[in-house]
Amino acid sequence: MIYGVRRVVKYILRKDIASRDFPVYPDDAFIVSYPRSGNTWTRFLVANLLHPDEHVTFANIERLVPDSEAQSARYLKAIPRPRAIKSHQYFDPRYKKVIYIVRDPRDVALSYYDFQRKYRHIEDGYPLSRSVNDFVTGNLSSWDWGTWGENVGSWIATRYRQAGFLLLRYEDILADTEREITRIAAFLDIPTSPQLLANTIERSSAKRLRSLERAQGDKWVSTKNKRSDIPFIRSASSGGWKNNLPPESVAAIEAEWGHLMTRLGYELASERAMAVSSGRAASNFSALHLSLREDPPA
Amino acid sequence: MFRRALAGAKYVLGLQRPGRNLAVFPDDVFILSYPKSGNTWTRFLVAHLVHPQESPSFANINRLIPDPEALSKRELHRLPRPRYIKSHQYFDPRYRKIVYVVRDPRDVALSQYHFHRKRRLVPDGDSVENFVVRFVAGSTSPYGSWGENVAGWLATRYGHPGFLLLRYEDMIAGTTRELAKVAQFLGIEADREWLQECADRCSAAEMRKLEHLQAHLWSSTKDTRQDVPFIREAKPGGWKSGLTQASVVHIEHAWGHLMQFLGYELTTDEAGRTGSDFLEAVLVGREQ
Repeated sequence: MIYGVRRVVKYILRKDIASRDFPVYPDDAFIVSYPRSGNTWTRFLVANLLHPDEHVTFANIERLVPDSEAQSARYLKAIPRPRAIKSHQYFDPRYKKVIYIVRDPRDVALSYYDFQRKYRHIEDGYPLSRSVNDFVTGNLSSWDWGTWGENVGSWIATRYRQAGFLLLRYEDILADTEREITRIAAFLDIPTSPQLLANTIERSSAKRLRSLERAQGDKWVSTKNKRSDIPFIRSASSGGWKNNLPPESVAAIEAEWGHLMTRLGYELASERAMAVSSGRAASNFSALHLSLREDPPA
Repeated sequence: MFRRALAGAKYVLGLQRPGRNLAVFPDDVFILSYPKSGNTWTRFLVAHLVHPQESPSFANINRLIPDPEALSKRELHRLPRPRYIKSHQYFDPRYRKIVYVVRDPRDVALSQYHFHRKRRLVPDGDSVENFVVRFVAGSTSPYGSWGENVAGWLATRYGHPGFLLLRYEDMIAGTTRELAKVAQFLGIEADREWLQECADRCSAAEMRKLEHLQAHLWSSTKDTRQDVPFIREAKPGGWKSGLTQASVVHIEHAWGHLMQFLGYELTTDEAGRTGSDFLEAVLVGREQ
């Protein structure tokens, strides 16, 4: 009946991790994605767009764009409004302004494998195909953000094409960072200049984040006390799954989420999933396929 | 600070009503729907199936099919398992076995308007039309908008073995047929006579009788206006006379794609639809 005293004191002082349990204001903007989908990069891009005069690093990112899964409700309350908050949560109706980043789940699975080893959730010898299986079935040992399909599906099904929702693909941000951050700036009503865009890209580059991680990795809430021999900032590329995921893992991911992947523009590789998906595309509603580039109606 | 300390004391003793923070067990079964979509009716039907020896009423329904908004964490923790839990929550990945009831949002809007009058949230003079605007925006409920609630669940669970989708309208048209699906889904043996008996005991007339006698005993009806009933018409299509054309158009523009997927006939065509069509493209072809 009596829970840990520490936990109760933390609860009373609102110093426990906020997660979903903190007051949301109507002017809050959220950067949301499933883990390992480019959230940290986007977070730096947004922080640099919003605070061009700050030197954005892992030492102050929690103040500039706080992480609701690492900070307390009390901490979040002290952040000046309008706040930009980082989150991995599945759909929450209170979030009215959302930048949602989606990434090819085959690359997410691969990245998650390294991440789980870094966090010591699994041993180095843990088979990759088993990790992918955990990923597909929702048996990952970290916090419950739903499966990739549940997280992505719950947001897109409810908010796609709505005002207050900006859908970005990680692969598009890689391919043309300037174009995508221009969309972010417009969405957040940030006036841009070529100088601001160039600075933002440069200050958030994978190279810079890697050197920041080397210098500050033991201090940042998301990397301290974790294995330092596995980097948090990985290759920052797309398509790594083609060379590194076993075919049965690719097939498992595509069998589970093929329809959603196709709709998001991720080409399927395994034959079985392709057959299922083309059967689906042949339905009456294929005409409804819209370009992801289409912006929500004003 | 005092409020936080009080909350802390409740937290320690497990006296808080958990609502969305419910501690979920893997064998929990959820009776889920957006509010005003036939949840109470389904709840009584399931209560009869699961507890054939009890006689479910408004006096004991919170114990038989508990509501995490009405019971404390401690009470919920002590219930025998598997628990059959009533809920209106939007998508939550921890819920693994779900009976989801969906209803034509045009009827849901009308029903919620009257329910909010009953709860004194809407004064009598306030128009349905104003209400529908707020309803579509999702500001009349803490469970997301109708479209957010329904789409969130369908996008993640439609076609999965732990998800049974029922339409309120089908339940009205063939109660025993739909109840047989529920019994099978829950692994409960029930013959035709018993299904018929359950349906009869939960008829709108019987439910009205119970409400008349016990409204003051039930968390959802006590301290509300007694001149506005909780159990209303229990019929589909009330929107045709109860909503204005403008309200109907407003709802169909917001959720036309989703309504069409669910088989609700529309009065408007595709032009003017602003809602997400994403779900439809994703769901088509997935077997239920």
